[in-house]
Amino acid sequence: MTGLLLGSALFLLGLALAVGAWWSRLWLGLTLAAAVAAVAAAVAVFAAGAGWEWRSDFLLGGEALHLRLDGVSGLFVVLAAVVGGAGAVYSREYWSDQRYPASAPRGRVWWSALMLSMLLVVTASNGLHFLMAWEAFAICGYFLITLEAKKPAVRAAGWLYLAASHAGTVCLFAFFAALAAKTGGWELGPVAGDASLAPLLWLALAGFAMKAGIFPLHIWLPSAHANAPSHVSAIMSGVAIKMGVYGIVRFSGWLPLPVAAGWVVIGLGGASALLGIAFALAQNDFKRLLAYCSVENIGIIMIGVGGALLARSHGDAPWGRLALAGALLHVWNHGAFKALLFFAAGSVLHATGTREMSRLGGLWRRMPWTAGLFALGAVAVAGLPPLNGFVSEWLIYLGLFDAVAGKQASAWAAMPAAILLAMAGALALATFAKAGAMMFLGAARTKPAANGHECGGWMRGPMLALAGVCLGLALAPVLVWPALASAASAWHPVSSGSLSDCGKGDDEGRRAGCPRPSGPGSQPDAVVGLASREANSTGPAACLTKDAVPLATLGWVQLGFAVLITAAATLLWRKVRANPLRRGPTWDCGYAAPTARMQYSSGSFAGLAAGWFSWVLQPARTLRRPRGYFPAAAIRLERVPETMLERVLQPAAARVMQVSTAVRRLQHGRLSA
Amino acid sequence: MNSILDLILRLDCWLLLAPLLPGIINKVKAWVAGRRGPPVLQLYYDLARLWQKRVVLSTLASPAFVVLPAVTWVAVLGAAMLMPLGPLGAGLTFRGDALLLLYLLALARFGTAWAAMETGSAFEGMGTVREVSYAVLAEAAMIAAVLSLSVQSGSISLAVMLGPALGASAVLLAAGLFIVLLAENCRVPFDDPNTHLELTMIHEAMILDHSGPPLAAILHGAAMKLLLFTVLLVQAVLPMGQLKPWAAAVVLAGGVLGVTVAVGLVESLLARFAFRRVPLLLTTAFLLCLFALLVAWKGGLS
Repeated sequence: MTGLLLGSALFLLGLALAVGAWWSRLWLGLTLAAAVAAVAAAVAVFAAGAGWEWRSDFLLGGEALHLRLDGVSGLFVVLAAVVGGAGAVYSREYWSDQRYPASAPRGRVWWSALMLSMLLVVTASNGLHFLMAWEAFAICGYFLITLEAKKPAVRAAGWLYLAASHAGTVCLFAFFAALAAKTGGWELGPVAGDASLAPLLWLALAGFAMKAGIFPLHIWLPSAHANAPSHVSAIMSGVAIKMGVYGIVRFSGWLPLPVAAGWVVIGLGGASALLGIAFALAQNDFKRLLAYCSVENIGIIMIGVGGALLARSHGDAPWGRLALAGALLHVWNHGAFKALLFFAAGSVLHATGTREMSRLGGLWRRMPWTAGLFALGAVAVAGLPPLNGFVSEWLIYLGLFDAVAGKQASAWAAMPAAILLAMAGALALATFAKAGAMMFLGAARTKPAANGHECGGWMRGPMLALAGVCLGLALAPVLVWPALASAASAWHPVSSGSLSDCGKGDDEGRRAGCPRPSGPGSQPDAVVGLASREANSTGPAACLTKDAVPLATLGWVQLGFAVLITAAATLLWRKVRANPLRRGPTWDCGYAAPTARMQYSSGSFAGLAAGWFSWVLQPARTLRRPRGYFPAAAIRLERVPETMLERVLQPAAARVMQVSTAVRRLQHGRLSA
Repeated sequence: MNSILDLILRLDCWLLLAPLLPGIINKVKAWVAGRRGPPVLQLYYDLARLWQKRVVLSTLASPAFVVLPAVTWVAVLGAAMLMPLGPLGAGLTFRGDALLLLYLLALARFGTAWAAMETGSAFEGMGTVREVSYAVLAEAAMIAAVLSLSVQSGSISLAVMLGPALGASAVLLAAGLFIVLLAENCRVPFDDPNTHLELTMIHEAMILDHSGPPLAAILHGAAMKLLLFTVLLVQAVLPMGQLKPWAAAVVLAGGVLGVTVAVGLVESLLARFAFRRVPLLLTTAFLLCLFALLVAWKGGLS
């Protein structure tokens, strides 16, 4: 059943790929059907609680095809299908054949290819095929980003993406080759016992972190996401960077861990979360702001994953599974609300033609749907109840608090991580209050903003659907718990046994991990075995039970708050409307003629909090003060550069080039034959 | 039946008693200054009058401007329902409710900030920026405080966390939480709730354009938030779990009164700080809570 569904999803995507250039309606239908089939396949895996595997005798590159769909990959399949399907609908209006006759057909073909290759990345269970799918996926991303190749900024962004992506792929080539050499085959699966494999994880971490956009390696991400068409930004930010997360989660679960891995991942996560959102706050371009916010959210996910790794290397404490479940739920949540936000941003861009927030304002009047949906996404991304961002952050917090209460060495990582998570949350609130206010509230600052127009049904539909997903995940999180539990137990098969031992007495389908017929994974290695015995004696006995994770309670509470908020809002609205309203200009303590230019701008909003981060933001300022009795002009420009790229990487590269040029004099022969 | 009575009693406590606190603070300030001051019940009169009033709306404001005060009010009330009230216990308790409380307060902040930006006024922008920026530091202090309570009690639900005696870390935590209380409720030395000089305000600047029933909701929500922080501070520091029910009730009431008077005294004796010194004070609060966490950690080991 699962195989049939997944196979039909892949087949339909292949078909869509073939017809996309000519028949856009058929393409859309095929893509949506494929998305439904892929989601159904994943749901079948979650429901069965067991993974699905398929081996063929067909050789590709000398290796037999081997696909695997288990809890972990199922999560990512659902994500790719939902965002891919929504983006396909959105692109019908946003990147229509009428407006972009040349690039729209190309866009459809690459879109299908991207979805197809991402599904293959998460299901491939052979190192060689994984690399092939990975490379195809990276290339598809490049062609989608550069759909508008006439613009130099787009070409530069695409080039940077391609270079960074391949720098990561080099690490992955080394990783898979070394893994194949050590294990004697390209087949992927849980490998335990051999501690000499542990250092390989660093290679995988470097390669996947590049794709995920973790803080110092995020250099390609902001410009690529900002310059791509908005539906492409949505899938890049919502899904493509999650492939890096998939890689980290997958191989950290299958390989033996280096001791420091958990510390490094949680540290990188904390840095990404705080600095990513600090950069986001300082941006003036709303798509760049959303892109940096993705860096933050990947950081939050990495805090959860790092917690899981830390717990695993400290005797497989149960809190690690909690943090992992939170991180995996955040993968879904972020995919949903970030795609929604990018769609809304695309709608604004479509209507006004500018990405500069300080040129917008007052759009809610012309674009009420977009404004409302953006506000919903903003509440979700800031991690506020009663929406879905809060649920996953709450799960991660629970894991971290348990770690602190456990008072093991890992608490020293969990404590700062929890504090950083809270600060990043508060900064995210500031960031999205700013973004929403600058775009939709107040008075229009320029003519295009005053003349904006609402998007049509093809763009609004997918936004509404994603908003529905956000609400569903927020109000009934317990429904997705089986999926999370099956992923958390499929993650690291050795300890899935111990998990099922203590999960007795609760009925959710987390008991059965994937059966692993082959490989040495069934034998717990000595280190982990010893450590887990320690944990059983000293650690908290809680597993992912209902008492430990009152997700159902939280769901009811969120639902209650949502109902209460609606009721109170209706009541107040009625009360206010009972008497006739008086409208007047903004009072503002008695300003006679407030103008749009007096409003707080994007830079002035960010100034205070971004100032605390100027050590890393390194803003470039141009300031000309008003001078004399009749000042002619005063200017204050502030731009936040891509610090890591412009202040670190480019000088370093320039130095390398300098040295190379100097050394080149030693070379006498002709290099070009 | 019992649970309905409990709910009514609890709602009474929060809804009816909250507006008393600003009245007490003002009375203390008047008393220190040698004035007679407004009646203690002034806020009740104000609320009743505002609820009857018509609304004047800015031409720029969207319907959200009217609705968001309700969202903010519900968020604060929801947070209050999670807070245990001495012998009454919490209205709703589950593992991890402490975090929900923190994030509900953040939701209230988001609602106020969004509504403030609706009017396109520079003053309200100013207030919003200060509110959301200082909250970053206040949030860090709060999470450190919650962590230290959680380490002390080995739990993440408020009902258990606020029970045991804290020992040495109580002093640190009290100082840290008191500073956060002043900052989050926009009292002196962070903000001056009495001033009419808009350039120097935070919370008052954000609500300049509200009027009528929405303003009543905002003022009442602010009073509940003040009560919430006072109750949190008192219960975090005093060992409520070890007292008999009647004693706990008396201690809680006395503690809330004491903290309220202390806020009034601070307000009488201190001037508002320059804004560049505010982050410093909040960082101090964060460090105090962090040290409380470390002390709790060490204390728990023995």
